[in-house]
Amino acid sequence: MILEHMRSAMRSLWGNKLRTFLSMIGIVIGVGSVVAITALGESARASITSQIAQAGLETITVNVGRRPGAAVERLFTDDLVEELARFEGIKAAAAVNRASAQLKAGAESASEQITSATPAYLDIFSLEVKEGRFVTEADMLDRSAVVVLGSELAETLFPDGGAVGSAVRVLGSSPKQLRVIGVLETRSDTFGFSFDSGAFMPRSSFLVRIAKPARPESFVLWADPDARDVVETAAGLQAWFDAETGTDNAVRVQSPSTIAETMSGVTDTLSGFLAGIAAISLVVGGIGIMNIMLVSVTERTREIGIRKALGATPAAIRVQFLVEAIYITLAGGFIGLALGMAVSKVASGFLGWDFILAPSSMAVAVVFSAATGIFFGLYPAARAARLDPVVALSYE
Amino acid sequence: MSDTPNSPAARAEAPDLPPPSDGLVVAARGIHRIYEVGEEKVHALRGVDLDIRRGEYLAIIGPSGSGKSTLMHIIGCLDSPTEGTVAIDGVQVAAMDETRLARIRNERIGFVFQAFNLLTRESILENVALPLQYAGVNRRERIERARAELESVGLGDRLGHRPSQLSGGQRQRAAIARALVTRPAILLADEPTGALDTKTGDAVLALFEEIHARGTTIIVVTHDPDVAARCHRTVRIRDGLIEEVA
Repeated sequence: MILEHMRSAMRSLWGNKLRTFLSMIGIVIGVGSVVAITALGESARASITSQIAQAGLETITVNVGRRPGAAVERLFTDDLVEELARFEGIKAAAAVNRASAQLKAGAESASEQITSATPAYLDIFSLEVKEGRFVTEADMLDRSAVVVLGSELAETLFPDGGAVGSAVRVLGSSPKQLRVIGVLETRSDTFGFSFDSGAFMPRSSFLVRIAKPARPESFVLWADPDARDVVETAAGLQAWFDAETGTDNAVRVQSPSTIAETMSGVTDTLSGFLAGIAAISLVVGGIGIMNIMLVSVTERTREIGIRKALGATPAAIRVQFLVEAIYITLAGGFIGLALGMAVSKVASGFLGWDFILAPSSMAVAVVFSAATGIFFGLYPAARAARLDPVVALSYE
Repeated sequence: MSDTPNSPAARAEAPDLPPPSDGLVVAARGIHRIYEVGEEKVHALRGVDLDIRRGEYLAIIGPSGSGKSTLMHIIGCLDSPTEGTVAIDGVQVAAMDETRLARIRNERIGFVFQAFNLLTRESILENVALPLQYAGVNRRERIERARAELESVGLGDRLGHRPSQLSGGQRQRAAIARALVTRPAILLADEPTGALDTKTGDAVLALFEEIHARGTTIIVVTHDPDVAARCHRTVRIRDGLIEEVA
């Protein structure tokens, strides 16, 4: 019986190809955008996760909150580094300050940030040296006028190579000359720390030559996941700082995991919001279907009368029209699915994300379009089923 | 709904009526039908009694507005009386809901209309098979029976044709095949020759006589005296009442 309805629905929709297609467009757009947005959301999340994995899951950063207060100012000193390094689950710690500077080498120049570094810095961010060496304890003691360049910065200042051993000048009211001792391997930016375009100086030397900050801007820590869970360590640190400062979140402790949570929370909210907007277009498409089905019922009043005279029950008429509505929306759903997949594939290509097609978004497309068909097909179908056979038969 | 007129279920639905073995295919008692058109009430039927025996070939005649269409709709189970009782093939139908009326129409009544009323998008084979679909017959048997029915009205070589590809006479014969395919108790024809020229009309009436000879009860609603003259009994309706039974 249902097979019969499907055959007849097919024929009736095929008989009105243009109209069927036009009424389908709303559903195509609705489902297409829902699919594209959920797929892009997935891709964005995956891209963030892979960035975090690359950044190393073992880094914890300690920043000052928005209104630090006197307790924080007292606590944030270079002496805190040793105490933090002894914290349970922490292998190493470093205080960090940064300063913007104009760097010049020969005819080339660049405006970048100089970061104060200690030997531990290399391990904390799991950086690798491409050429030369990184900051050593000896550099720290000597307050050497040396600098390590990120790969990009090295490329900018020394386009012909040979950075290591060359001199870089830091422009300013009292220009300084630094010797390049190393270049880092290329490494993507991580949460506010840019390595490729940065320059790194021994902290002791930085404080003498570049800037004299009142306190460390932040601390970076190397967590040992084998000794203690990183998130747990971060939570422990947060509690310790809250107790020391007497204020909640005057100091903010962040681990990649907490950042990941925040980021994917943001992505989820955003893609949920966009999917909601897309769902509205699905509703609009559904209303289009309802409209066209009502027209179809009116147009086919006489056919309905004939079918009733031949013994079609109201239920049979209702199913017939419902099947037609579901057909339109399902067909629209599949086209929309293909379209959404194509759009998100192209978009993630442009954004450099991995294209991820969640099976859930396909299920969403099919379920949503069928549900739209049922919901918006019910009323026209009920109207067809309710028609008085005598009136319907005499309809011109 | 595979109740035959003699099944206990059919009789239980019609306790007030004599058992169908008395041969009444239509038993209408005190039929009133009042339409409400806005504020006004139109009394289309004002107490009609009508018995039609199994195997009769009957004409219902009357001028337009007499109530003959209303009576036809009620006999055809397309409409229900405001008052009175109707038994079709022994089954009391006056108080039935739309679903059960649809089943009665499907099983016991075959309609032939003036305008043929074939579905234009379907082949005549599909048209004739349609009532069997609503009866729940499987597709293979539907097609087989529809083909046989079309062959018996001389359209065996036109099965795949759309109605628009056929002449008026052929269309009406296809419609008759569709009416008969469920083996109904009554063939109910509404001005069956009204849209045909005299010659094709005659051919249709000749076909009716053949069908009647095979034992089907035929009721023809018409205002054409020539058509009525070929029936074996004539009932005239005027102003909502049966005025004369000839």
